[in-house]
Amino acid sequence: MKMILTIIFRLTVSCLIAGTIMGTTFVFTNKAKKANEHAREEKVMYGLLGFSDDQESAEELALHEIFRYIVSDGVNQSIGYLLPTGHHGEDAGFSFVQLGLEGDFLDSTVIPLTEEKAREQGDRDAAVQAAMGSSKTARFVDQVMVVTEDGNRQAYLLAGKFPGYKTNIHIILALDPAYSIIGFEVMEHEEDPGLGAEIEQDYFKNQFKRKPFEKIKQLQVVKEPLPDEYYNALEGKIEAAAAEQIMLQYSDSDIYAITGSTISSDAVTSGIRGMTKKFAYRLETLEQVLEAEQIGVPF
Amino acid sequence: MATDKSSFQLVANGILKENPIFKLALSMCPAVGISTTVVNGLMLGTAVLFVQVFSSVTISLLKNFIHPRIRIPTYTLTIATWVTVIDLSLAAYFPAAYAKMGIFVKIIVAFAIITMRLEMFACKEPVKSSFWDGLGMGLGFMVGMVVIGFVRELLGSGAILGYDVLGFKPLLFFILPSAGFFVVGLMMGFFNWIETYYAERKKR
Repeated sequence: MKMILTIIFRLTVSCLIAGTIMGTTFVFTNKAKKANEHAREEKVMYGLLGFSDDQESAEELALHEIFRYIVSDGVNQSIGYLLPTGHHGEDAGFSFVQLGLEGDFLDSTVIPLTEEKAREQGDRDAAVQAAMGSSKTARFVDQVMVVTEDGNRQAYLLAGKFPGYKTNIHIILALDPAYSIIGFEVMEHEEDPGLGAEIEQDYFKNQFKRKPFEKIKQLQVVKEPLPDEYYNALEGKIEAAAAEQIMLQYSDSDIYAITGSTISSDAVTSGIRGMTKKFAYRLETLEQVLEAEQIGVPF
Repeated sequence: MATDKSSFQLVANGILKENPIFKLALSMCPAVGISTTVVNGLMLGTAVLFVQVFSSVTISLLKNFIHPRIRIPTYTLTIATWVTVIDLSLAAYFPAAYAKMGIFVKIIVAFAIITMRLEMFACKEPVKSSFWDGLGMGLGFMVGMVVIGFVRELLGSGAILGYDVLGFKPLLFFILPSAGFFVVGLMMGFFNWIETYYAERKKR
């Protein structure tokens, strides 16, 4: 009996020490890790918009974030959008616009929140919840970014995830104001190396580039070999002008599946199709309401 | 029972006489799987070096506290703790390296060489010798990884440290995991040959 107690005691103490060490390290490193992830996301976003490392992004370029919440009072659900009211860097606060499920306007409240704080999910959720009162609960769903240059809309940036072959695939998708695809970048995935992981390759990713919205609505995967000339154009192996020509020629074709990974190819294609369609519908509904209710937004 | 070897002998022992890869033939998975370039080998080698030294010192410090019947769980816990610490620190301060190495760092928990050194050495010896032994073993592993990486990078992609030195790719085969076994095998032979050569010369 004494032996059992000794063993239990010593093993417990060892575990406690180990836990303390790991916990301390986590606390110290977590902030730096988050900053790294944020930096990476930002780099990918600017990359999608066509700015590389050495090229300074335009001064007039501004990113406006729209946060989507689902508000529920126990019986009815509505959708809430947290929108910035002032221009980038002005910190003019946010307005929280609530829509019914049919796209009808319900309510609009002003939430005093700085941009810095709006980016922290904890602070943002608390502010939204406080504005809603205790009878309703607000749950954060997703966020999109509207990119403007000199007040003109340039692009939309959508972060999203959808199920892949094994786990969720996380991507950042860039759309132009007409909802055509500018490009997308895979942020996180666990597809099989050499098979599904090929979704990161240019010859797959670039197939989505410049697909018009009408085509995206019914985008499918075809199980046919990728034509050689198209492959070379996608991988950037030929001159830019010639590649442009070929890309244009294929802009109305479906997505050629990766050999041996139809499921991963299909997952990305239908994921992007769903993201684009839903986003276009939501944004149009929101814009109608904003116009009817005369709520000013900087984009 | 304290070892009578000096600190220098302990380090040299880890690098040459009992080199983890070429002599003890432990932790072959990473040696074969990851050592495709010098940089990869160096990064994993450095991570293993830290984990080995920290774990050896910890176990040596706690050797009277650890109950002999349950020493294996304690070893695993110690190694897992230090691997987690290294993993978190790498992710926070070296994101570029971590993006490449991330999944391999976590596997260090299961590296045979570290557990073996704790069982064979650190749980019996004083802290100072354990530190030098851990350092020697870690360095030995790192040197092994770098040497294998050097050969494979040179023969596989004709480059060294990412710089193209040959201008062509001699044998693509050396990049593939199976080629790791060939390189390790040849290196083992080379190490053994050196050893016998010096043993012969001493005799004469």
